[in-house]
Amino acid sequence: MKILVALSLLIAASLAAQAPAPARPRGNMLISRAVPDPAAVERGQKTFSANCGFCHGSNAQGGDSGPDLVRSPLALDDERGDKIGPVILQGRANKGMPAFHLPAEQIQDIAAFLRSRQQAAIDRNAYTILNVVTGDAQKGREYFNGEGRCNTCHSPTGDLSGVAKKYDAVTLQSRFLYPRTRAGDPQPVRSQVTVTLASGPTFSGSLEYLDDFNVSLRDAAGEYRSFSREPRLKIDIRDPLAAHADLLKKYTDADMHNLLAYLVTLK
Amino acid sequence: MKLTLAAFSLVGFTLSAQGLDPGQLLKPPTSTWPTYNGDYSGRRFSPLSRINSSNVTAMTLAWEYRLDPGTGTLTSPIKSTPLEVNGVLYFTLPDHAWAVDARTGRQLWHYQWETHGGIHIGSRGFGMYGNWLYFETPDNYLVSLNAKDGSERWHVEIADVNQEYFSTPAPIVIRNHIIVGVGGDSLDVPGYLESRDPETGQLQWRWNTTPRKGEPGADTWPNPEAMEHGGGMTWVPGTYDPELNLYYLGTGNPNPVMAGQGRKGSNLWTCSIVALNPDTGKLAWYFQASPHDTHDWDAAETPILIDGQIDGRPRKLLAQSSRNGYFFVLDRTNGKNILSKPFIDLNWSKGLDAKGQPIGNPDKEPKPDGTLVIPALGGAANWPSPSFDPETGLFYVNASSSYSLYYLTDTADKPEGYGGRDSGVYATLALKAIDYRTGQIRWTHEYNRGGGSIGILTTAGKLLFTGDPSGNFVVYEPANGKILWHAHLISNVSNGPMTYELDGRQYVVVGAGDSLYGFTLQQ
Repeated sequence: MKILVALSLLIAASLAAQAPAPARPRGNMLISRAVPDPAAVERGQKTFSANCGFCHGSNAQGGDSGPDLVRSPLALDDERGDKIGPVILQGRANKGMPAFHLPAEQIQDIAAFLRSRQQAAIDRNAYTILNVVTGDAQKGREYFNGEGRCNTCHSPTGDLSGVAKKYDAVTLQSRFLYPRTRAGDPQPVRSQVTVTLASGPTFSGSLEYLDDFNVSLRDAAGEYRSFSREPRLKIDIRDPLAAHADLLKKYTDADMHNLLAYLVTLK
Repeated sequence: MKLTLAAFSLVGFTLSAQGLDPGQLLKPPTSTWPTYNGDYSGRRFSPLSRINSSNVTAMTLAWEYRLDPGTGTLTSPIKSTPLEVNGVLYFTLPDHAWAVDARTGRQLWHYQWETHGGIHIGSRGFGMYGNWLYFETPDNYLVSLNAKDGSERWHVEIADVNQEYFSTPAPIVIRNHIIVGVGGDSLDVPGYLESRDPETGQLQWRWNTTPRKGEPGADTWPNPEAMEHGGGMTWVPGTYDPELNLYYLGTGNPNPVMAGQGRKGSNLWTCSIVALNPDTGKLAWYFQASPHDTHDWDAAETPILIDGQIDGRPRKLLAQSSRNGYFFVLDRTNGKNILSKPFIDLNWSKGLDAKGQPIGNPDKEPKPDGTLVIPALGGAANWPSPSFDPETGLFYVNASSSYSLYYLTDTADKPEGYGGRDSGVYATLALKAIDYRTGQIRWTHEYNRGGGSIGILTTAGKLLFTGDPSGNFVVYEPANGKILWHAHLISNVSNGPMTYELDGRQYVVVGAGDSLYGFTLQQ
């Protein structure tokens, strides 16, 4: 048993020798490694395009004769050219890659370019959404005034006048589907509630909080009132967004795209 | 069964006062909660009944422990289900681990890992073997600590943080196998499950969640590059049947996550429920929950083992409330499908194939101008633990009826990374009780607001413990959904509730945000 313990201690000691490096600061949650200097990325892109792009593709995603370097384990393990440098300088004869005699600064620039390409693929929150306005505006108008019954509450010359100036098309698509309150909204959309106590008095206002046990509201005078949901308490909630939630079950994707095509005309 | 028990004993091993008798791993959880789900079945059902439906109104706070990270910082709410062994609770957060007294919440030790980076989204907790604890870090180290004082025994790297792996699971201990999973879906790395030696951390076996060139399953991918970048993470601990000696695991979604045009085919063994031999890592069978997924709907949700009856015959079953909105029941001896039924109103499926696997509607895959899909990216269910109560025969899950816009942003033949984006539109959340024999929902408790799924515990005290999306910890009657008790915590319940009995007193422990709460009966 002692021998076993000693042996495992020995192994543990050798494993412990691979001590981790100190922590790096984390900004963007998806990007945990250092973001390269944009000037180095720009220089690296030019060097890469001129020397490497023919085989690896100008965007480094690989070509007919060179592998993808965005998802390359070696390029991902690289720090400032320490892994890709030897490959660039010596080439890989067995795979048909010649040597490139580039100065250390240019290799570091290429490393910066590759890191930026990797981080662009990693950082999905920064991906660009392509064209969302693909529907038929006329059909969208018909849906607005017909099946969707949007005109029950909204008017293109009233509340929706200029809505396409206020929001870009991608934002508008999310907002018309369900205009929930988002951070920074000047006028948050709130349900209205009327609470009737068992003893008779009623209180009305905008709904502040609701769970299975408590309800609270702020009345027209700005007073905050909170109630326990005992069995005889009556609560009547009017959700101005209920029709939006109902429509979500009914839209086809074509309805949604047509409606957006119509709404983007309301400039 | 005797053979299995003998194989579990640690020959020549001296347990410290804090050590775990491995025989506990084969028993339902009472005085001990020795593994992530309490036992191997994944049911999260405790036979304890000292706290029960007739006295739960007298349940009150015994203690609260606010997570103290020392000189470090807390980067996630507590998602770890604590282990409880010999009166001590053990739990983790990314880069942090603690032991506290299970009777008082008093901190016994705190351990901090110096990180190299990685996404700090969560840590699901410890595995335990004798005197030793094991947990995984966001930069993909398996760290072994001494349960007695939290001192580090060793650490080994199980994945490369530079490749964008980050690890969240709680290791599962089966005999002398420490089974560890990996995560990381940002840049198309391949997933795997590993078994590590409990004494040294050395690799015993690795099972790849996607095939390599020429291997079985390779015909479900267009080329070797696609499968070697095909994802399939092993995010969540699995379950184990000692009699069949099979480990059950739900695998993650394929990569690139939302752009499927570069990986045409069903993409085995991503989004699958698989059965593996824990001694060899060999695949016994698979069932694919989402063939060719493009919505980030991993099938990692706990595969719960049910010893039940179908058509009057006793059966060894496995049930999963999958992220894609389907409730699946399989025969766990061979993986044959018994039931596939949606537990929310979803809009992406065209029905089932001959194996009972859903057929995705290509029109609902992400498109450049957006598709409106139910459920949202977070899914109808997610990693938070469901529960199965053998006394009611009901499977409980907090189910999200949610809508997302799914955009394809990378239209290249060979997309990379996620290749798309989502935009959450609207969601409601409800606690649902599903009959495992029919898939019918026997009762539903709709919450007053939407939110992500929340973990559940059931007990023989005829109680169901879970959180609501408004920050309440709530106790329900499992037969009918009647509310029996509640308390408002510092934030939403963020882990799976667990329970244990010490000195004739039952405790229920739940985590919310940066705090752990212990409840017991007023005496």
